[in-house]
Amino acid sequence: MSSGWFLAVSALVFGIGAIGVLTRRNPLLVLVSLELMLNAGNLALITFARMHNAAEGHIFAMVVMVVAAAEVAIGLGIVVALYRNRVAVDVDELRELRG
Amino acid sequence: MSPTDAAWIVLILPLLGAVILGLGFRVWTGRVAGLIGTASVGLAFVFSLVSLFSLLGRDGEGERQIASSLYDYATVAGVDVKMEILVDPLSLIMLLVVTGVSTLIHLYSIAYMKGDAGYTRFFAYLNFFVFSMLVLVLAGNFVLLIVGWGFVGAASYMLISFWFRRGTATSAGIKAFVINVVGDIGMMLGVILLLRHTGTVDLLETFAIAEPTFGPESGNTGALTAGLLLIMVGAFAKSAQLPLHTWLPDAMEGPTPVSSLIHAATMVTAGVYLIARLHPLMELAPTAQLVGMIIGALTLLVAGTIALVQTDLKRVIAYSTMSQIGYMIMGVSASVYVAAMFHLVTHAFFKALLFMAAGSLISAMAGEQSMDKMRGFKKAMPFTYGAFIIGGLALAGIPPFSGFFSKDEILAGVADQGGWYWLLWAVGYIGAFLTAVYTWRMIFRAFWGTPVPEAVELEGGHLHHAAEHRNPKTGEIEDTEVGFPGPEHHIAERARPMKIAMSLLALLATVGGLLGIPHVLMPLEHFLEPVFHHDAPQHVAGGGVTILGLVLGTVVGIAGIFVAYRLWAVPPAPKDEAARQRVADNPALEATTISAGYQARFAGLHRFFLNKWYFDELIDLLIVRPVRAVGRVSRDGFERIVISGTLVGGTAGTVRGASALVRRMQSGYLRSYAAVTLVGAAAVLIYVLIQS
Amino acid sequence: MLHLSILLWLPLAVGLLGLLAPKRAARWVALVGGLLAVALSVAFVLDFDSGSGLLQHVTSDAWIEAFGVRYDLALTGLNVWLILLTTVGFAFATGWLATTDDGRGDRARQLFLHFGIAQTAVIGALLSQDVILFIAFFDLMLIPFFFLTVMFGNGDRVPAVIKMVVYTLVGSLLMLVAAVAIGVLSTPDGQPISFSIQTIAERGVPEGSQGWLFACFAAAFLVKMPSFPFHGWLADGYKAMPLPVLAVFSGVLSKVAAYGFLLIALPLLPEGVADLRWVVLIMAVISILYGSLIALTTTNARLVLAYSSVAQLGFITLGVFSLRTDGATGALLQSVNHGVAVFGAFLAVAILSQRAGGSEDLRDMGGIATKAPIFAVFFVIVTYAVLALPGTANFLGEILILRGLWEGPSVALAVVASLGIALAAVYALRLFILSSHNRVGPQAEPREASKAQLALLAVPVVLIIALAIHPQQTIRAADAAATQAVYPAAAVVDPVAAEQMAQEAARYRNCTGWSCFRSAPPAASDGAEVPGGTGGVPPEDIAIDPSTGQPVAPQGAAPDQGAAGEGEEIVIDENGEVVGDDEEMVIEEDAQTIEGTNR
Repeated sequence: MSSGWFLAVSALVFGIGAIGVLTRRNPLLVLVSLELMLNAGNLALITFARMHNAAEGHIFAMVVMVVAAAEVAIGLGIVVALYRNRVAVDVDELRELRG
Repeated sequence: MSPTDAAWIVLILPLLGAVILGLGFRVWTGRVAGLIGTASVGLAFVFSLVSLFSLLGRDGEGERQIASSLYDYATVAGVDVKMEILVDPLSLIMLLVVTGVSTLIHLYSIAYMKGDAGYTRFFAYLNFFVFSMLVLVLAGNFVLLIVGWGFVGAASYMLISFWFRRGTATSAGIKAFVINVVGDIGMMLGVILLLRHTGTVDLLETFAIAEPTFGPESGNTGALTAGLLLIMVGAFAKSAQLPLHTWLPDAMEGPTPVSSLIHAATMVTAGVYLIARLHPLMELAPTAQLVGMIIGALTLLVAGTIALVQTDLKRVIAYSTMSQIGYMIMGVSASVYVAAMFHLVTHAFFKALLFMAAGSLISAMAGEQSMDKMRGFKKAMPFTYGAFIIGGLALAGIPPFSGFFSKDEILAGVADQGGWYWLLWAVGYIGAFLTAVYTWRMIFRAFWGTPVPEAVELEGGHLHHAAEHRNPKTGEIEDTEVGFPGPEHHIAERARPMKIAMSLLALLATVGGLLGIPHVLMPLEHFLEPVFHHDAPQHVAGGGVTILGLVLGTVVGIAGIFVAYRLWAVPPAPKDEAARQRVADNPALEATTISAGYQARFAGLHRFFLNKWYFDELIDLLIVRPVRAVGRVSRDGFERIVISGTLVGGTAGTVRGASALVRRMQSGYLRSYAAVTLVGAAAVLIYVLIQS
Repeated sequence: MLHLSILLWLPLAVGLLGLLAPKRAARWVALVGGLLAVALSVAFVLDFDSGSGLLQHVTSDAWIEAFGVRYDLALTGLNVWLILLTTVGFAFATGWLATTDDGRGDRARQLFLHFGIAQTAVIGALLSQDVILFIAFFDLMLIPFFFLTVMFGNGDRVPAVIKMVVYTLVGSLLMLVAAVAIGVLSTPDGQPISFSIQTIAERGVPEGSQGWLFACFAAAFLVKMPSFPFHGWLADGYKAMPLPVLAVFSGVLSKVAAYGFLLIALPLLPEGVADLRWVVLIMAVISILYGSLIALTTTNARLVLAYSSVAQLGFITLGVFSLRTDGATGALLQSVNHGVAVFGAFLAVAILSQRAGGSEDLRDMGGIATKAPIFAVFFVIVTYAVLALPGTANFLGEILILRGLWEGPSVALAVVASLGIALAAVYALRLFILSSHNRVGPQAEPREASKAQLALLAVPVVLIIALAIHPQQTIRAADAAATQAVYPAAAVVDPVAAEQMAQEAARYRNCTGWSCFRSAPPAASDGAEVPGGTGGVPPEDIAIDPSTGQPVAPQGAAPDQGAAGEGEEIVIDENGEVVGDDEEMVIEEDAQTIEGTNR
């Protein structure tokens, strides 16, 4: 199978994730979408690694997965904290950083 | 002990006194403070004598000018400023006068200031003043000279404002200080200018190279003249010469011993000393000498006319001081150094005496200084009266009192140079006439005639105490805590220290002339010779001019006294009703029965003199007001509109505008941030792709 | 052992230590730390060799290697007394704060931490011999003062402090840009970039760029001082700061700006200085007159001092830009004097304001001298220092500055500037009279200052008297370094006059002319610590290119470092990267000497 297909899938998943991040208002779903984007990246990395027959891509993918796990842990923690503090959870209402 | 060692001790002693009094102001409150102060200055006088004899013990002219330095004060850019004193006959004369007269005035103050809340403070200040004056006199280089110059200014300020709750005293103080700072600046600039050519600030070194550096061949005479004129601004400010004189009459706000010491005997003559000190330079700059002579002559005339019409006792004496210093400035500027220094010495004696006597009289009047309230103290205060007579005779130049020889010697020296110098000579004798008139006006008005209640009370054995003291100028009630005259006051008739001090000064004022009787007895001349020896024409006038001067001086003096006698001593009964009413209201005005008529006839001139030739108003109009106005405009206008409004506002506005633009991007929506990130990443990607 | 890094980081360390201390003890920790810093800086002053114009106690380490930024510290004649002033000033203000509510309150630990940061920043800026390091510390100075004002200030402090920060930052950013540009432009092709002041001075900055580079530096320094017309932040900023903080700010921080001119602008950008000095001179003269006139009319005691600072810094700037030894030495002396006088003056205002029901308006004060004699004496001495009474060191500073102006740029400038002295007499005495003399003011409540306050006030008073009696030590330390600093720019303006000036300045040293300041003295091997680079090249004679009027061999601030300086560039690479040329051995030897002495 040519690498092109893998990359196409990766791009597709990345796009879905990006749209999800931009359009969903529930923080949980935003997090899920982010995961999609990360995994799309991982897929691309592994694909390139296979293409070039190099190990760096795999290593990067592992690092990304570790980081992603950490990120999910923190992200979920924040979401849970938000659930406790606010009735409705909607990212559009979290605008404290507005200038 | 070498002369310089003794001089260093002389310098340190009053400072030590001031520091001891200052540190122990809670411990030495009473008479002890006065004794400490007097002792420190008295010891300084003793060591001055030691220095004098040590110097006299040396022979050879070159050995009579000795410099001594302690350490390097500042060495920078090729100029070495040392902590250095210069002892020579000239500075020794000043040393003796300063410490000698100071000792007597300290003694006088022990009694005079008794009961004042600031007794210890007064002596600490007075000692500090003596120290400052000694720094000035002994300074071995220009920088220390300016330091002494500044210190006496500061001491003078503190003593003028001694009763600091009086608004008039503090404003007189700041006025004196600021005018003197103007003088200091002149000196600073002048010294910088001279330094440019000489490369040294040391006095002796400067004098040594004066001729090659500034002589007629050097082409630097213009620079020298400019430098000396700037330095003379300092001399004029300190010596109250036109037009920087306005602070001196106001300085009479200080306690009378201060007027006596600082504003008559010592500090105000510093300008004369300065010019004499710089004579090797002055000789090379005839223009500067000319300016000095003219200013001196003008001052003696102007001050004389003002003194004629003033009614404040101390101010009359103050204007008289101005006028006498005018003589001295004229003398030193005309190269008549010895005579001018001679007059400086004798003037210190008789003027200090007059001020002390005036202090005694003012105390008897419970602080009142106006002659319009004084009359008939002859019987009540015979001692004070005697002091006034001696001082008055010396001031008027009646033989054989000291003023007779010294003043006439200056004028003879001036006239001896011939030409238009005779004009200055004539001005001098007109001034002498005025001097005799206003001095004796003072004496006749205060001591002759029908006694005022205060005098009567004193004759009965009581000292008059005013119910409440008011400031004669503003009318506000004095704060006796730190205001004149304190709960008690003292007169020479009763207080022994005052009497001793005045007796000694009276003696000196009488026999002081022995220091220099022309062609007969001239110890001062011989003593000062090593200092002034290299000035080619020693202006000791020829016999003819001298004798003419002595005779004329006597005649003019006696004529002045006679005029004063006719006008104020025993005036006839008032003729018209208005005059009678005036005298009835205030018996002291009896004296002015005749002079009031003249005042009415020459009303314009009288007002002109009474308002002191409008110098104060002129300075106010030309300098004080414009400065204040510019300051106010800067603060309220420029600062607010340009600085705060345009510059600050502009900067702030730009920042705010820019931040408003950026702020709009910070919507707070997570998605917009994500979108921007995404778009940015995409843009970078596309850019990289296109590049490759 | 004396090491500059200890002095530099000590205040910060003490501040952090204070965080650990209990609230009540924080002020004692800070005070002990402050006194320790004073003792250390006194030791440095005593150890300082005034006879030589060299960098002493050099510390040189890599910091950001990639950009050639180094951690270079050294003691020179320019900064040695300013450092003592800084430590004394901070110790004084710490002691003062310890007597106030803020110093005892709940936030005392933060207060003293910020104070420590500020002191480290000031000392760092003074010691830096690397342009970027200087800027880092210079900007760091601002931050603690921002917090100190916001947390402990009074009145409408937030807008005031923002105004101040914005103003200062604009200047600082321009300076940063200029600093980077100096480093880049001065680096010859194929050589590593360096921001060391020494190296840049040796390499030279291209003439064409010097104008705008100088303008950028001047902007930063003139705002900091502040000079007319950049003083917009002054009135509000001064009003908002707590007085002890203000004493340090006005007494010490403004001097760093004047020092910056001598450290960086004059030696590195002589062409720019020569072109633009008149702009700065005229702004300085206007500052003197304008500041004095406003000080003369305002009734707020604090603002009198604020605007008098504008005037005094005008004098200091004039001295620096007279481009003469005496002017620059006078400016340095005056920096120390004015700092000391201002410490006393602000404390006096604080004491007065306590006795006037908290008002700082002169119209509410008056007449307290009877009941507070000791305070009045101290205050009058401080006043005399402010107005530069002849006999105080302030007077000496001013006369040196005036002489520098007269001999240097213009006689007229000296005459106009001298008007400032007369005006100073008026506003300083007016402040004294209206607050301490005359009738007791409407709100005034005369009583003596507390013992602690008097003890504090005695510090500046004693220093004023000491400086008045013996100013020589300060002048002596400064004049060689001052000559070095002004010489390059002076040589551009007038080579002959510059050489003459150098010769005059060397008159009381055992050498002649400019070489006096370039040459290395015999190695001072006193065992403990050899000042860096004493084993330098033999002295070179100055040569002036007649066509450009510039010295042919570009000199640095401390010429002794000629060889050692080159060596240093390589030594920097401590990881053993060796430059392969035939001087290698020599360089390495040099490097080892330096490293050995600085460890």
